[in-house]
Amino acid sequence: MADFLYVARNVSKHFFVGSRFSSQGLRTVHAVDDVSLEISQGETLGLVGESGCGKSTLGRCLARLYDVTYGALNFDGKDIAGLSNRGLRPLRAKLQMVFQDPSASLNPRRRVKDLIAEPLRIHTRMTKPQIAVRVAELLNEVGLLPDHAERFPHEFSGGQRQRIGIARAIALNPKMLILDEPVSALDVSVQAQIVNLLAGLQEKLGLTYVFVAHDLSVVRQVSTRIAVMYLGSIVEIGPAEDIFANPRHPYTQALISAVPEPDPSAKRNRIILQGDVPSPVNPPSGCRFHPRCPYAQAKCKIERPALLAEAKGRQVACHFPLSNG
Amino acid sequence: MLWAILQRLWQMAFVMIGISVLVFAIFFATPGADPAARIAGRNASPEILEAVRKSFGFDQPFYVQYLLMMKRIFITGDLTSFVNRGWKVVPAVVDTIPVTLSLVTGAAVLWVIFSIIIGTVAAANRGKWADKLLMILGLIGISMPVYWLGDVMNLITQSRYKDTWLFSWVPPLGYQNFSDSPKGWFLSLVIPWITLAILYIGLYGRVLRANLIEAMQEDYVRTARAKGLSESRILLKHALRTSMISFVTLFGLDFGALVGGSALLTEVVFDLHGVGKLTYDALKNLDLPIIMTTVLYASFFVVAANALVDIAYVFLDPRVRQS
Amino acid sequence: MLSVRDLCVSFRTEQGVLRAIDHVSFDVEAGEILGVVGESGSGKTVSLLAVMGLINDPNATVTGSIRFKGRELVGLKPSDLRKLRGRDMAMIFQDPMTALTPVYTIGTQIAEQITTHQNISKRAALDRAVQLLAEVNIPKPEEAISRYPHQLSGGMRQRAVIAMALSNNPSLLIADEPTTALDVTVQAQILDLVRKLQREHKSSVVFITHDMGVIAEIADHVMVMYAGRIAERANKAEIFRRPLHPYTRALLDSIPPLRGPRPPRLRAIPGAPPSLLHRTEACAFAPRCAKKIEICSLKPALRGTEHEVACHVVNHG
Repeated sequence: MADFLYVARNVSKHFFVGSRFSSQGLRTVHAVDDVSLEISQGETLGLVGESGCGKSTLGRCLARLYDVTYGALNFDGKDIAGLSNRGLRPLRAKLQMVFQDPSASLNPRRRVKDLIAEPLRIHTRMTKPQIAVRVAELLNEVGLLPDHAERFPHEFSGGQRQRIGIARAIALNPKMLILDEPVSALDVSVQAQIVNLLAGLQEKLGLTYVFVAHDLSVVRQVSTRIAVMYLGSIVEIGPAEDIFANPRHPYTQALISAVPEPDPSAKRNRIILQGDVPSPVNPPSGCRFHPRCPYAQAKCKIERPALLAEAKGRQVACHFPLSNG
Repeated sequence: MLWAILQRLWQMAFVMIGISVLVFAIFFATPGADPAARIAGRNASPEILEAVRKSFGFDQPFYVQYLLMMKRIFITGDLTSFVNRGWKVVPAVVDTIPVTLSLVTGAAVLWVIFSIIIGTVAAANRGKWADKLLMILGLIGISMPVYWLGDVMNLITQSRYKDTWLFSWVPPLGYQNFSDSPKGWFLSLVIPWITLAILYIGLYGRVLRANLIEAMQEDYVRTARAKGLSESRILLKHALRTSMISFVTLFGLDFGALVGGSALLTEVVFDLHGVGKLTYDALKNLDLPIIMTTVLYASFFVVAANALVDIAYVFLDPRVRQS
Repeated sequence: MLSVRDLCVSFRTEQGVLRAIDHVSFDVEAGEILGVVGESGSGKTVSLLAVMGLINDPNATVTGSIRFKGRELVGLKPSDLRKLRGRDMAMIFQDPMTALTPVYTIGTQIAEQITTHQNISKRAALDRAVQLLAEVNIPKPEEAISRYPHQLSGGMRQRAVIAMALSNNPSLLIADEPTTALDVTVQAQILDLVRKLQREHKSSVVFITHDMGVIAEIADHVMVMYAGRIAERANKAEIFRRPLHPYTRALLDSIPPLRGPRPPRLRAIPGAPPSLLHRTEACAFAPRCAKKIEICSLKPALRGTEHEVACHVVNHG
């Protein structure tokens, strides 16, 4: 375990919906269902999947914004799954989260310099001049100008606000960032800027990322490894380019083939999945993907496949994985 | 759907029992005060105090006192007032209910009809003079205190213009039983109805206008426009129906509170012996059994009105039916 | 079919006049799918809301000419425009979650559109609704008509919205980012469906999106918009093979590739789209453009025949 910055073992997160008094009673949603993964120092782990697959919930569990229902979380050699709110405070400095909509997390009445200085004031004993120096440094780091410090969040474009959010997140020199759809709300022409900024910061500061996103081309660009999630579980995990070149799980294959490519001449075998993602309240038996799987067989309806290791650091949870090539 | 309704009724029963316990505890189990002394009234003789103690079972444990009290209110109905010697409380309250219900229901019909008209017309003419005029009228309606408005109404209809053709039909103040004379009942209540409704017409009209204008910004209204529907159809069929949800919520709360005694000022001004008036008189005399009963009655009405609102939701909003 | 000339849309705001659309001209041929691509604020949605006559902001001014099947729509009486809307031209919107009135069933809402424009009974309209739902591949359409919007998934709702839009066989269908709020696997289903329906109904479709990938999937012709003007227009193959406008090229370059080696950095476009509040005589893309020359301080006109582009650098060498 010593080689990994973050190890999650058998993590589950359940939510409860309905009420005890309703006709269906209190129902459990298995938002994250028995997920185990390791994250190495300096890598980017991409979490992809469709809405309701649990990728954001898993991200929040890893950041300990949510309590996990079961499972162990080990970050930087320390067990963090059972920490109380008080015990989490030192963790917050080392493990930060960046959200999709930066404007929602930026207090509109405060100046940018105060917003960026806030974590420094809370977590460090830096003096006012020290903080001012650090804020200027951070603004420069994320590609903002020194005179931006005096402005308010609403004076910025979406891309710039996300830069402010990132500056706040890296203010305390964290080891790891959990990025929840950090570019999804941005215009296409601005997305690339933020993707590049994140890559640059990672190299310079040796950061480790968990990158949660639904846009597969962005995830492929930024990730070292990718974990594909379906209905709360990881169905496939492996190096980013390998997964895209040779998906082993039928869901991964269909997901990738469904992404529209900006090249009308691209010859592709498009697999159009039928139906919608089933409700996580009442997931299908056996392999969760079998009702939509074009290759499903009898065994898939009964037995749930385990996530098994394969060559080249890949893992897949499928009884009949697709052959290479 | 039926299940949702039954469930709501069950919750209502539960809340009502809770309220009765709480009200009982506040009146009879507050430490440091002798409930018997309060019930007996000021300067009561020791014999009366003793009679009160016996009659309410104050020498027994609290739960027996509670059950006894509930039995005397709901089953035997023989709770008696000691301030007004020997007055049976339950029939007194029951007598006042039709008065208050007649007053509030009639006013409610008026205010629902007129506020829907005013709110819809104002929203349809948003920013134009009709909207501005209606909203100013609404604000005036809200700003006039009901006791003042009632007195002005009485001044006009009972003395100043009493003998003119305009108001000669107005009967003298007071309530007439529906069973005695439906026409008299109606005529005696027209002016109180209007007086009570004016405040709520202004209030509800403004609320509905705001809700309608908000609803008209929704995506589904844009869809309705893209379908080629007329503006009036969009307003009446698509926006009004969804706006009614908060309207009904407000209505349930206000109606429940008014029936529970909040129409007091109107009742006093027009000399209608309703629940509000009864509670008011009981408060003046510190007549604890009556206060206890009317408070219970009032809270039951508020709870019942809320349950009815929730059931109305089930019909108004299909999203409620499932969850 | 549809011919738009010198369309301008501006809004009066507290900060001044916002020119959302600035002299935009384009045509939609019968039976084609025109893809309109642009970022937020590029005017792609506003220009087509103007075509539908759905800009009813009292602070808005619409000028220019919109001819639909030979009929001028700008200045048409609202009641006449309403007869066209939902019958000859229909529009579907981005978010299927909020596009349907929550308190009426799917069937009621589709039948409402049919009976508004056709003189048939409610019963017959509901039967037609069942057919339409079957056509957009909603399972068990007889049951689906009595469902409420919240009882359907996002993909199913968008299908219902499409069925509703097609209920009077419109000759022009405007689709405003209909797949943006959906998951990719559902997006693929919907794109497939739109293509199939377009073939069967032979209607023209204007497909608005910010996603070049979706354009590559669905469009015949492509119109790239930037800051309220058309930057470039050509058929799809041309746009992707030979993008001329620096903005189109930069946009295509900034998309991370789905196959092949990954570049260490993406070629990002610096800066952000301009505010439309400040009127400028310059090319709106000039501040972000790598190829900017002196003459770019003047607005370029859209030039060309088959492949049109609004750029001084391209048009004057």
